Amino acid sequence: MNRPDHSTYIEWLNLDADGLLEGEERSRLEEHLAACADCRREREELQALNGLLRRSAIDARPGFRQAVMASLPTAGWEVHSSQGWRFPAAVLVLLGALAAGLLIAGSAPSSAGFSTLVAVGSLFRAAVLAGAGLLAASWKGVGLVVERVISSPASLGAFGFLVLCLNLLLISLLRRKRPARQAEGAPSDPRR
Amino acid sequence: MTRGAEPLTDEDLVTAVLEGDRDRFGELIDRYQGRLVNYLFRLLRNADDAHDLAQEVFVKVYQVLDRFDPHYKFSTWLFRVAQNAAIDQIRRRRLKVVSLRQEDDEGESRDWDLPSPERGPYGEMRNQERGEAIHEAIETLPWEYRELILLRHFGELPYEEIARLKQMPLGTVKNKLFRGRQMLKEKLQDFLSD
Repeated sequence: MNRPDHSTYIEWLNLDADGLLEGEERSRLEEHLAACADCRREREELQALNGLLRRSAIDARPGFRQAVMASLPTAGWEVHSSQGWRFPAAVLVLLGALAAGLLIAGSAPSSAGFSTLVAVGSLFRAAVLAGAGLLAASWKGVGLVVERVISSPASLGAFGFLVLCLNLLLISLLRRKRPARQAEGAPSDPRR
Repeated sequence: MTRGAEPLTDEDLVTAVLEGDRDRFGELIDRYQGRLVNYLFRLLRNADDAHDLAQEVFVKVYQVLDRFDPHYKFSTWLFRVAQNAAIDQIRRRRLKVVSLRQEDDEGESRDWDLPSPERGPYGEMRNQERGEAIHEAIETLPWEYRELILLRHFGELPYEEIARLKQMPLGTVKNKLFRGRQMLKEKLQDFLSD
């Protein structure tokens, strides 16, 4: 087996000072130390430096943990994790109930129920188009849908409620935080 | 608290906190308060500032705990947040070089320098001299070495975590750390035999 060069022994001495050298490398270092006064002095100095730095540590203030715990605010994720799913779920249930209501209300002639479904579908399509900025193209579609939907006061009320629910759903989804995989970037020299 | 016979990992504690067991965050504080305060103390050179900033760091980490990526070690994340916070503070305040001897609210002086068995006027003077020498030696290290020395010796992070935090190859971390130690040894030569 080749004899390591001196830089390898220096690396081993540093690892040894951190308690990370073991096995054959440690044995070979010990053999080398028996014959090398420079490396023995290096080891003593590294151990002394580690001890000096370790002894220079200060204690955290008594009651530090309690102070931190008392100062913790209610984090955004606590609100979301405990009830964040409830609101969108409730809105979805309302939307489902509303759609079922519309179907049942207009189910006397079967074609009327079908027309209602088509109208609601058109409304969703128009909303998506409007949201995407294609206002010019969607206004006509929205107008047609509204004209068909608001044929009676009850339908008008249901339509208004549907729009309100959609807006609430949208707001609740927008308020949910996006996950961030990396919260912090790499730090740099403060003196720069 | 243990999982069977094994203590919970940091990542287990984070999961428990996220599931509503807020008190588990206290266990994370217990694990890291000493290392974090010492790490910040060496960066800020002021024990009160270090404690205040350590508290801010814990609060900040708690507020965004749901963003913790379990692919990383909690300690890596914590010290990254701490380092960024310290650098922000240093830049903001232009870090005043102050004596290690601080005065508390009652105007009495408190020692934040080296805890040491040395007693008596000479021992106290030597402690203070040594504490200032350590600060000075660390402060005058080039930043690329200093940050690694602080993370290793005061943050007590393993080499691998430092490499991940600094996004450096492991070999580079070791080389810089060992080189930084050589510089520190030379600067602190007078105190190594204490």
